Amino acid sequence: MNSSDKQLEQRARALYQEATQRIDPVTAGRLRAARRTALEAATHSTPHHRARVLLPVGALAAVALAALMIWQPAPRPQQDGKPQGVAAVEQENEYLPPGADKADPGLYQNLDFYSWLAANDGSQVKR
Amino acid sequence: MNSVSAVFEAELLAPQGQAVPATLDAFLASMERRAFRMAELHLGNREDAMDAVQDAMLRLVKHYRSKPAEEWTPLFWGILRRRIVDLQRRRKVRSIVVGWLGGGHDDDGDELPVWEPADSGPDPLEKLHGEQSYADVAAAVRRLPQRQREAFTLRVLEGLDVAETAHAMGCSEGSVKTHLSRAMQHLREHLEAWR
Repeated sequence: MNSSDKQLEQRARALYQEATQRIDPVTAGRLRAARRTALEAATHSTPHHRARVLLPVGALAAVALAALMIWQPAPRPQQDGKPQGVAAVEQENEYLPPGADKADPGLYQNLDFYSWLAANDGSQVKR
Repeated sequence: MNSVSAVFEAELLAPQGQAVPATLDAFLASMERRAFRMAELHLGNREDAMDAVQDAMLRLVKHYRSKPAEEWTPLFWGILRRRIVDLQRRRKVRSIVVGWLGGGHDDDGDELPVWEPADSGPDPLEKLHGEQSYADVAAAVRRLPQRQREAFTLRVLEGLDVAETAHAMGCSEGSVKTHLSRAMQHLREHLEAWR
């Protein structure tokens, strides 16, 4: 690069820099406002960014919860208004001998007789 | 000593490397006027230049504020350059649409000049001698082809080094040197009388 090119460059640059300082007040004010707007937009963009990330995550969680509720086995209809577990126990007890509280009191009073009857029932039949 | 020569002297005495402001606010404050003049040089319209600068600032803050401060300068000029190119393309499309609608020719059938938005803003460049000189340089720079203009404005007017200019222009350092060399050749021809 020769000296005249260097001189041209320096002169052009000086004129450009001088022109950047010679901006009218209205334009300078608009540039300042544009800068403030850009910086404010950046500070407000962080919650928006978080919302953009959290929204799909929340939606996914809601869908998963709904799916879990749909796939969970529904409780069987209750019998006679009793809870399901109690009804099942009562059903099993039908095949067992009655408890002491439900048995005929005469059974216990004549227990010796019934024992003797059970022991001698076979021998009497043979007679 | 007039203001232009004062800046000229200051430029000669100033150190080559300029410290980058630590905060984004300070960085943009140091760039906004230069960016406006740069966009105005390329677009030839104050409103379009304002739009380009505003958009470039917004994009830099939004997408690159976490980058190291040393990278802001080439990033900012790169963003502004792309925005300028976008606006020029949009203007070209508008001209084509106007042409299709029959507005591209006058009553005699002659082609009308390319559509340019009206620029009614104040133009202080015509008031003083130094301003007239800048207007001459600006006019010569606007006549350069796009890539040569970019290389000249970034490398010479903004003082970016070759690597930073290449980064901002999105090309190789060799291409920057080629574009700049051709730009200087064109400007020597156009500004012969001005020199």
